[in-house]
Amino acid sequence: MKTLTANRLTDGRVIYRTADGQWTTQLDEAQRLSPEEAAELLPVAEAEFGIAVGPYIIDLDEAGPAGQKWRRESIRLAGPTTGTTHVLGAA
Amino acid sequence: MLTSQLDHATRSDTDAQLESGGGHIVELPGESDWREARDAIAGAVQVDIRFPKFNDGRGFTLAAHLRERAGFKGHLRAVGALIPDQAQFLKRVGFDAVAPDRTDLAADWARAEARFSVVYQPALRGPLAVPAKRIESGADLAVLNARYSEADALDILRDAVTRTWRGRIALMSSFGAEAAVSLHLLARVDPSTPVLFLDTGRLFAQTEQYQRELTDKLGLTHIRILQPNTSEVSREDADGKLWSRDSDACCAMRKVQPLDGVIGDYDALITGRKRFHGGERMKLPVVERVNGTMRVNPLARWSAEEVQAYFRRYDLPRHPLTDMGYASIGCWTCTAPAHNDDVRSGRWVGQDKSECGIHRPLPVAAE
Amino acid sequence: MYHYDEHDTTLVRERIEEFRDQIERRMDGRLSEAEFKPLRLMNGVYLQLHAYMLRVAIPYGSLRSEQMRVLAHLARTYDRGYGHFTTRQNIQYNWPALTDIPAMLEDLAAVEMHAIQTSGNCIRNVTADPFAGAARDELEDSRPWAEIIRQWSSLHPEFTFLPRKFKIAVNGAGEDRAGIRVHDIGLQIVQNAQGQVGFEVWVGGGQGRTPRLARKLKDFLEPQDLLSYLTAALRVYNAHGRRDNLYKARIKILVDALGIDGYAAEVAEEWSYIRDGELKLPAGEIARIRSFFSRPSISDPAPLPEAGPAAFRAWLDTNIRPHQIDGLSSAVISLKPIGGTPGDATAEQMDLIADMTERYGFGEVRVTPDQNLVLPHVRHEDLFPVWSALREAGLATANAGLASDIVACPGLDYCNLANARSIPVAQAISETLDAEGLAQAAGEVTIKISGCINACGHHHVAHIGVLGVDKRGEEFYQINLGGAFGEDAAIGEIVGKGLAADDVPPAIARILRAYLDFRDEDERFIDTLRRLGSDAFKEAIYADLAA
Repeated sequence: MKTLTANRLTDGRVIYRTADGQWTTQLDEAQRLSPEEAAELLPVAEAEFGIAVGPYIIDLDEAGPAGQKWRRESIRLAGPTTGTTHVLGAA
Repeated sequence: MLTSQLDHATRSDTDAQLESGGGHIVELPGESDWREARDAIAGAVQVDIRFPKFNDGRGFTLAAHLRERAGFKGHLRAVGALIPDQAQFLKRVGFDAVAPDRTDLAADWARAEARFSVVYQPALRGPLAVPAKRIESGADLAVLNARYSEADALDILRDAVTRTWRGRIALMSSFGAEAAVSLHLLARVDPSTPVLFLDTGRLFAQTEQYQRELTDKLGLTHIRILQPNTSEVSREDADGKLWSRDSDACCAMRKVQPLDGVIGDYDALITGRKRFHGGERMKLPVVERVNGTMRVNPLARWSAEEVQAYFRRYDLPRHPLTDMGYASIGCWTCTAPAHNDDVRSGRWVGQDKSECGIHRPLPVAAE
Repeated sequence: MYHYDEHDTTLVRERIEEFRDQIERRMDGRLSEAEFKPLRLMNGVYLQLHAYMLRVAIPYGSLRSEQMRVLAHLARTYDRGYGHFTTRQNIQYNWPALTDIPAMLEDLAAVEMHAIQTSGNCIRNVTADPFAGAARDELEDSRPWAEIIRQWSSLHPEFTFLPRKFKIAVNGAGEDRAGIRVHDIGLQIVQNAQGQVGFEVWVGGGQGRTPRLARKLKDFLEPQDLLSYLTAALRVYNAHGRRDNLYKARIKILVDALGIDGYAAEVAEEWSYIRDGELKLPAGEIARIRSFFSRPSISDPAPLPEAGPAAFRAWLDTNIRPHQIDGLSSAVISLKPIGGTPGDATAEQMDLIADMTERYGFGEVRVTPDQNLVLPHVRHEDLFPVWSALREAGLATANAGLASDIVACPGLDYCNLANARSIPVAQAISETLDAEGLAQAAGEVTIKISGCINACGHHHVAHIGVLGVDKRGEEFYQINLGGAFGEDAAIGEIVGKGLAADDVPPAIARILRAYLDFRDEDERFIDTLRRLGSDAFKEAIYADLAA
């Protein structure tokens, strides 16, 4: 399962693409896409210069970000893990 | 002005016009080596430098090289994927015009070209660079004089010799009546600082003797004796009477020129001049610029009494002629005892002359 | 400390207006993101994982108290109450909105600060010895020269679109605390046989994926020729540096390709043409800038305190550096509390430090390449009150230069480029070493952590370097041993395969215990390591991991 993510131009916040072509900061509002749909939608999002910066495709599963970039995307979603050391081994 | 040739129709018209005059236009990729380009552009009326991407900055250095080193005087134009934010940079490295790929931003180009009124780097065009502006306005002198406004002579000397002009400063001394004060102060700071001594060939024997005595007593280790050019002396002053015919010419040959010969070795020269000497010196600042070299006058604010008190406090030897009424001592040919309270009244008596020329022209900025 | 004149002020103001205009043009499409990105980077604005990041220049690491107060204000108003001091004497704010950045820049301009060229492929914020003007081993204060370079490099018409970033450092002391040999150009102030003071010029140092120590370009450069020589060096780089491969674009690769003699010959040829031109520094301008950097003067110098609580004396042992004026010392303010984020300071801490610099520090504070702060001039009789106030604020950790004084890049917790996290690893290492008393026992040891091969955490030049890598979605950490930052600069070597994050702190503890076993008397860690080679420590790293 895939979705599109980017950073918002005005403040840099993490955003996800919704089914109605808007952007949201809530991952659960993001549109779930097949790999083909995601690849088709990416150029559309890239062409909208005024809202989202650098849109790209990420992997999702039921729990949230998945795939090889799961940790990066989890940190983008939830914020820095600093200040707590016990998360080190959270794999 | 950088003219944006944004409209492609206009651009080809302009090109045609330029070429109709018999010249031709050469386009160079920004990555070209300037030496090879030099041959390619021979005879061109216009050179276009192509920027493949706006952030490939080779074209800037290429333009600078064509202007500064290849001596290209013709029309220089930047073409390619350029953006308005580069307008001033293009102009300053020597471009006359720009033909950007994107042609709908003329207003942005115009605004960007007027963006910065201040630049730090000297360049072919555009505003005068800030360092030169500062020198022109005397900002450096203002800062230094403000800094020294409360400082005593020893602190000024210590700062000048060990920090501000470290390794690039010398003291000028005549080894005259008051010279022991600045020399003693200098020895307290750093006795290895160069001391420039103008041996005009017309000095009193007592001055030469005093120079050796003081140097020895104060432990000064770097006396640089400056003498006039002997062949010039024999040519211009064969009879040794130049001083009586043209004292300015004599001073120029025996003092000003020998000093000019070494002045490039230093960024600053320390003098022992004081305001109480009168005349032009009444407005003497602590730091001034004379013909591009800084002069530091740590004793500018001292009174005659302070000078005398300093001699007594450190038991400094006196110039042998001071007992005979000489208050300011130059060449024997042009120095007489002072005839009133004016210490320099014995110099060039009977002439409308009070300075030999080594301290001229007048200060460019007052304190 | 330098003060802006009307020219400096005008330039910074005009730059803010330009940036405001650039944001507006990005918003309405006159600038594409591809065009805007290099422009915002040149003004210190990154787009990180969660938000924009603003990197503010602290030129040559020198701050006045009122500047520190504005940094605190920015942390409070536009960030989440803290700022992050970096290894190149900048401060980073991690949470500003793009649209707020012009207002932040206005606040900075009011105290003569800016974010100009803290990133981008241009000449970056120039770094210098954080103890300049104070250190006992100093030949000459490096800051006036760094200020001269700051001005010359700002909005340079020819060198704003270089092949890659270009970093310059100036050091005026015997010990290299500015990292001369890990910069694109390093300037070491030296005295020649004739007693003149000038620069020894080094070129082509850098870290990243092809770490290089700088090579010597020139034995002696006269001060007035500084800018013409730098111009010649940059011209050769701008014209000939590679632009086809991001990873081969730094000047170190050009120097590799031409050889140091080949590069030096090109520079000398260019320089011969321009050295006597307008770039020759006017003596008045050198003097003007120098005149701002005066040393404090004190009367009745007191000796270093010998009495006091044990914690105070421990702090004196580790965090105090000798000063060139009797009766003064420099005090390192550790931003490395055990378990904390290296280099972070809260707004309250910054305000407190501003207070302290006014009361006890002649109004000055410095930022070090180790991500700590320094009060450069503290009277000996003030050391105890300084320590007491710092301790109250959590700023008196007695670990400057010890193994728990860890340098770390922001890593995957913030950075768009990172592959692995750095800060949590640093936090865990410092807790482990502290719990076992190893940081104190092992003495002088540097540990530096980077979250990717770009090496912003300087792991190549640490005694113990840690490099985070990503392998199919998991973080692994390679240990490098034997690097060094200063005048004995060296690139460390990778020892064995990467470790899981949880295995890093105990492995480092084992390295230090092995050192304590191996060392001869008072031998430092790095000397033992050099004597025995890194293989001797390999067993310690991988012991207990077999299972």
